[in-house]
Amino acid sequence: MKISSQVNTEGFSTEHWYQVGRPALMVGGLLFLVLATVPFWGSGLVVDKLTTLFVYILLAVMWNLLAGYAGLVSVGQQAFLGLGGYFALRLVDIGMSPYPAFIVGALICALVALVISVFALRLKEGEFAIAMWVTAEVIRILVMFDPIVQGETGTSLLAMNQYAPELRRNINFWFGLLVVAGMLGLVLWLVNSRIGAAAQAIRDDEEAAKSIGIRVMRVKQIIFVVAAFGCALAGSLWLASSVTFQPRTYFGVQWTVFMLFMVLVGGLKTFEGPILGAIVFFLLQEFFGDYGAWYLAGLGVTAILFALYAPNGIWGEWQNRKGVRFLPTGVTLTLKNKE
Amino acid sequence: MSKNTLIRSSVSRRQFIKGASGGIVSLGLLGSSSLFANPDNVIRIGYVMPRSGPLSSFSQGDDFLLKQVHKQLANGLNINGVQYALEFFLGDTQSSTIRASQVASDLINGKNIDLMLTSSTPETVNPVADACEAAGVPCLSTTAPWESFYYGRGAKPGQPSPFKWTYHFCFGVADFAKLYIDQWSKVKTNNRVGMLLPNDADGNSIRHLLIPDLEKAGYTVIDAGPYEDGASDFSQQINLFKKENCEIFNTFPFPPDFPVFWRQAAQKGYAQRVKISQLAKAGLFPAELNSLGRLGYGLAAGAYWHKDFPFASGSTGLSSQQIASGFEKSTGKQWDQQVGATASLFDAAIEALIQSNAPKDKVALVMAITKLRTETAVGIIDFTKGPVPNCATTGLVGVQWVKAQQGPWEFALNIVSNADHPLVKVTNTMTPYRIGG
Repeated sequence: MKISSQVNTEGFSTEHWYQVGRPALMVGGLLFLVLATVPFWGSGLVVDKLTTLFVYILLAVMWNLLAGYAGLVSVGQQAFLGLGGYFALRLVDIGMSPYPAFIVGALICALVALVISVFALRLKEGEFAIAMWVTAEVIRILVMFDPIVQGETGTSLLAMNQYAPELRRNINFWFGLLVVAGMLGLVLWLVNSRIGAAAQAIRDDEEAAKSIGIRVMRVKQIIFVVAAFGCALAGSLWLASSVTFQPRTYFGVQWTVFMLFMVLVGGLKTFEGPILGAIVFFLLQEFFGDYGAWYLAGLGVTAILFALYAPNGIWGEWQNRKGVRFLPTGVTLTLKNKE
Repeated sequence: MSKNTLIRSSVSRRQFIKGASGGIVSLGLLGSSSLFANPDNVIRIGYVMPRSGPLSSFSQGDDFLLKQVHKQLANGLNINGVQYALEFFLGDTQSSTIRASQVASDLINGKNIDLMLTSSTPETVNPVADACEAAGVPCLSTTAPWESFYYGRGAKPGQPSPFKWTYHFCFGVADFAKLYIDQWSKVKTNNRVGMLLPNDADGNSIRHLLIPDLEKAGYTVIDAGPYEDGASDFSQQINLFKKENCEIFNTFPFPPDFPVFWRQAAQKGYAQRVKISQLAKAGLFPAELNSLGRLGYGLAAGAYWHKDFPFASGSTGLSSQQIASGFEKSTGKQWDQQVGATASLFDAAIEALIQSNAPKDKVALVMAITKLRTETAVGIIDFTKGPVPNCATTGLVGVQWVKAQQGPWEFALNIVSNADHPLVKVTNTMTPYRIGG
């Protein structure tokens, strides 16, 4: 990291994130390898559930990238989730095979995000949040005009039926695992790069960041587009496993509520927090999901309690108390013992 | 994951044990403990419904009907000389499409079901059917216009069906033209129809398919143009219908929008001029009418089941009359159309299992469904006749909500037209709409 070489490190010892995080990274890599073998020994149910968990992790990490690292609180990320699904449908309709279509669709979605960013990122805080919601609704209405979507009715990605059921389940799982690992890697690299440092500076004080020469708009744009790309991949992964595309479902604001919950409970502004939040959310859904309206009310109360009494989330609180960090970001300066 | 298989046939000992995953509840149906120790002789049926949330009215009859099926098949099902037990696994979509997908794949992957049943609105049926199609599990469904099941899942007109595992029976858009042309001839009007259709899938397909047929039959149709679901001000449409002197009013709204429209129509003096007010989608359940009060007397609708249907339900062993009275007794609520439709789903499923000769063989079961022709609570369903592969149609009768002559319910439902369902007898004559009945 170049920044560290420019500051006076006399009297301090420096620790880079990759030095501190080496054991955590190795455990992560090992976990990835173990997970990759799950389809060979796990039941269909486990494979299917883990694929759902991948969607949640992806969404939580993307929302945290936006809100936690760049201070961009959006309630319209479902726009990209829906568009990811929609572009995949369209590409398959013109003859592309599904899995390449998921990737290409997400890339197109990133382009759309770039266009949206030009006006959306001029807005601040609450205005930005609401503008994103409005954008998501407008995109939904536009998508509903497409004859293959047939208004509210929607359509299905029938091309998924060409794969044998078990094969399809396993490919979805591996696709999900690769996407999650890839995006986690990208986010980790991003938040530790210059862009990440600049984004956090903007989050903390935009004017100050501008005054020291950070190109605010460019940095925000990069973060925004990456987050949109990740959400689009989550959308296509969801489409791959559920097959059904109904616009009100994909463009529903409930996705943002899920993201918000996972990040708030797990820990905003940390790398590990959203992953933990996604796992917590997934388990809550598994065990309490059948209580219907009470379950949803419970999620709401939990989120409020966390926002009020543990704003750093489970991971953030734990980190503060124990002082342990698995994957810290940036450079840590420690005072050298006076001799 | 907890599972509860009942050994005894006693209904009172029926238990719902909540599964650890996806709101799945299992309901065992066994004749005698020793006979069915072999899992090869247990037919596992998934049943996905909106049991909670805004669509939960559709599943009000489920518990009552499953209890009846349990009674009727207490000794299991003899198929081709083998005695099978049935086990139902109930999934709740919470009225959400996302949850419907999850619950369906939980049942497929976790419960290893032989047959999936589902019903009530495309938001429930389509994701469940898609999960089954992708996983190669036979699926039978009802209560969603067959067009939204078939075309709404990506099938194209004129092309071979892309579906191998999923089958559906219900009325379609074409049934409405036949029904309305007959039903509207029963009351003398100026044949001018005010049409209120939202900008959603149903609204738009009715606009393209129904209006031309009505015009061919001699009606003048005034379409007020598409509006968004959830609109709160209808003065423009009401003024148009008044100006055009539409004595017939017809709408296919998102159900909560109808009371809003109709109250405004009464305030602005349009409801007073209307001779026929015909609803579809809204007005299925007595609770909706009760909330309208005196504005509800005389509203006309179509019904896919009625307690006066002459058909019996084999799976529950009840006549249509008995289904209605049994439902009222067990729930304390007035019967509604969906109770009979749900019974018909069980009827068709049990018949398909029997005709397959090998109910645990998924291919044999699907082949039996493609050839299925059987009587159910809603009438004869015949999968050999189309209208498209994978779909069978059922008929609609014209009905009119009227003030009940005697209690306990405020509204009674008369059958006033049977052109689309000739085996059902008309019970009353249609009367012009009048506020207060």
